[in-house]
Amino acid sequence: MATAPTVATAQRSDRIDPTVYHIKKGGQGSALDIRDFNLWYGENQALYDNTIDVQKGMVTALIGPSGCGKSTLLRSLNRMNDLVDGLRISGQVMVDGFDIYGPGVDVIALRKRMGMVFQKPNPFAMSIYDNVTYPLRVDGVTKKSILDETVERALRSAALWDEAKDRLHTSALGMSGGQQQRLCIARGIASDPEVLLMDEPCSALDPIATAKIENLIADLRGQYTIVIVTHSMSQAARVSDNTAFMYLGRIVEYGDTGTVFTNPKVPRTNDYVTGRFG
Amino acid sequence: MTVTNQHDLPASGAAGLAGVAAREATKGRRVRRFSADLSAVGEPALWAFGGALALGIILIAGFLAMIAWNGFTTFWPKPIEKVELVDGELIAGVPTRGGAYRPGDSTLAQLDDDTRARIAENEGFASRTLYQTANFDLYGDDFRWVSDFEIAGITTPEDFHYIERQQWGVFIGRITGLEVDGQPVEVTQDRLQREQRDARARFNEIRRLERRDIGGINHLIERERLAMRRAVIRHGEDSAQAQATIAEGTARIEELQAEFAELQARVNDIRAEDRRTRITFEEVNGQQVETELSQVVRFFPANALSLPDKVGIYLSRWWEFVSAEPREANTQGGVLPAIFGTVAMTLLMVIFVAPFGVITALYLREYAKQGRLTSIVRISVNNLAGVPSIVYGVFGLGFFAYAMGGTIDQLFYPEALPNPTFGKGGILWASLTLALLTVPVVIVASEEALQAVPRSMREGSLACGASKWQTIRYIVLPKAMPGIMTGMILAMARGAGEVAPLMLVGVVKLAPALPIDGFAPFIHLDRSFMHLGFHIFDVGFQSRNSEAGIPMVFVTTVLLLTLIITMNATAIYVRNRLKRKYASGEF
Repeated sequence: MATAPTVATAQRSDRIDPTVYHIKKGGQGSALDIRDFNLWYGENQALYDNTIDVQKGMVTALIGPSGCGKSTLLRSLNRMNDLVDGLRISGQVMVDGFDIYGPGVDVIALRKRMGMVFQKPNPFAMSIYDNVTYPLRVDGVTKKSILDETVERALRSAALWDEAKDRLHTSALGMSGGQQQRLCIARGIASDPEVLLMDEPCSALDPIATAKIENLIADLRGQYTIVIVTHSMSQAARVSDNTAFMYLGRIVEYGDTGTVFTNPKVPRTNDYVTGRFG
Repeated sequence: MTVTNQHDLPASGAAGLAGVAAREATKGRRVRRFSADLSAVGEPALWAFGGALALGIILIAGFLAMIAWNGFTTFWPKPIEKVELVDGELIAGVPTRGGAYRPGDSTLAQLDDDTRARIAENEGFASRTLYQTANFDLYGDDFRWVSDFEIAGITTPEDFHYIERQQWGVFIGRITGLEVDGQPVEVTQDRLQREQRDARARFNEIRRLERRDIGGINHLIERERLAMRRAVIRHGEDSAQAQATIAEGTARIEELQAEFAELQARVNDIRAEDRRTRITFEEVNGQQVETELSQVVRFFPANALSLPDKVGIYLSRWWEFVSAEPREANTQGGVLPAIFGTVAMTLLMVIFVAPFGVITALYLREYAKQGRLTSIVRISVNNLAGVPSIVYGVFGLGFFAYAMGGTIDQLFYPEALPNPTFGKGGILWASLTLALLTVPVVIVASEEALQAVPRSMREGSLACGASKWQTIRYIVLPKAMPGIMTGMILAMARGAGEVAPLMLVGVVKLAPALPIDGFAPFIHLDRSFMHLGFHIFDVGFQSRNSEAGIPMVFVTTVLLLTLIITMNATAIYVRNRLKRKYASGEF
């Protein structure tokens, strides 16, 4: 057995070379512009100078070893981290020219513009119909025609309509795990958000359900801007246009997915994508 | 490959072990269960745990069986024994219980040698029986111990009746005379039963007139009087308004008094008629008692009953117990007002405790910053559950009844003073006191239920653009509802069974009126009420004759347990339906 090449270990506080950029542009400009974003949980800094530019209508993957801050970065985009006590940030996250951390920003309105899908399917203990219409109902929409229309559109977009149309008023908890996750995606896009954030959406699913979700992401590409955190490098390679490789809270390399996986510009990215560490 | 090897073994054991080895080769080796050190094996602990559980179950089952046995046999009609004593005295009574006792020296001295020798042989013990001799009006006591050596003979005459009366308790003896409309008639079982039914109908008519109609008029007169006083207090005695109200009120009271007199005359008529139908009893020694037939609630020849008769009497006694008012200082009759009071108070308590407890838990768990102060509050709430309940009673009396109730009286019922309206114990204050007593249970259970709602649910809702309140309202609370219900059930069980604080804040031995009746405003939260738990205490320990109260203690306990179990079962049913709804979502 050949000895594994030694990989330089690094500490959080170590200085790391600046991010290398080589992204593919989508032509519609950027949906999210993250600039010099730092984040602390109490005394611990979790993100260091993250600067990335998420292209509108494209799929952006965040990869990196466990604890590198991918999920933290993703959850910063719709301010889900606000729930954590002692959170501090610096830098900016620009959406349509305004900073989502700026003064007077309506967090609830912001979250309505960003659908989110979580690691484990988390449908509410309601009917399928009520699950999909939840974002609209909390917004005060009660008109049945609008709700009906939304359910059909969202479920069709989430490739769930054929399976669910005859049981819309049965419990969402009676569905399989893959169906539940697609329902969560349908819920995420029900209020027609601009960005869809996905936090390891396939990690709790079997390969067939994973394939369906990946196909769905491919279908949704162009319609929505998608940011996906994934542990599976092959998944990132399959579904994304651009990939950001993160390590110890820093973005090491951010660029065109093909290049990141076949010909990375930074040696550490190469080590990670070839499986030498992580 | 086996472990044993013939060549290494002593010759003597070799042949036997060879057989073992052969068996091992074909069937495998037996696995030893206790290969580890004893302290590492769980089995002894398992026996201890199982034993503790079994002991607990036996204790509870035995306790319930005792209550059920005593409770369910009390109303079964028992035979009357006519006992002739050695000294020639006659006793008639129902044997209730017996046992061995050690007669005193003075008693022994009066006995003949034969009996004394037999008692001495028995290590100084003799046995005796407690007879319910009844006839309190004649004997001044209801019960009498009779030692076996006193008895000369026992017979069970068929013409002895067990007669339950409206007053003076039970009479045991013969029915010797019946007088209908002043004319003596022949005493037959048929005639007796018919006449007694008619007499009871008259009795109930009188009671209805007195309670409902005359009571209603009294209520109206009192209202007019209070209205007049209120006008005087508000406007001054000489003001035009007060004078007008007084004039109007006086006229109205006169009208009502006329009605009152009319009703009273009707009652008197019925009563006069009732007095002409009389019954005569004779006790075992020939003493006679004469009374109106309407005083007889129930009578039966205890020694001449067929099984269907006994079942009928048994059921009719149960029916009376759950549907009638008590008589004879609560030792006879029914407990309907107590059932009503218990249920009404428990439901009121739930109405108070549910929102209060849930709101507190919501704040503590969802909104309050989880720090030292919150911890202190939480620990204090938990400790409140350990405060003796009588302390809550004292607090309820001092704060609710005297402070709050007194203030309410001064502000809203000044015309009734110095008679308190709310400034005394009442069902409102009792249920508030119990709500205070049980609120820690609800808070703790609700907090745990809220905490158990997965974070992913909340995040899912927040990510959909729901506000915190919407998330709590639509996601967290429904999911936590079964757990909150569990807390409510525990609180209800505790509250319904609590007695000590109630004695201070509104429970009475005999409530003249129910908290809900036909007079506006229909629900009278200021009224005192009866409670099954207090009823147990009262008949068991506060009645003139505790021997007569003992069976009622068991029957009332059975009823109280049944009531609590029913209320809990209903709540559990609702909770399980909720649980199913939120687990599988059958909408």
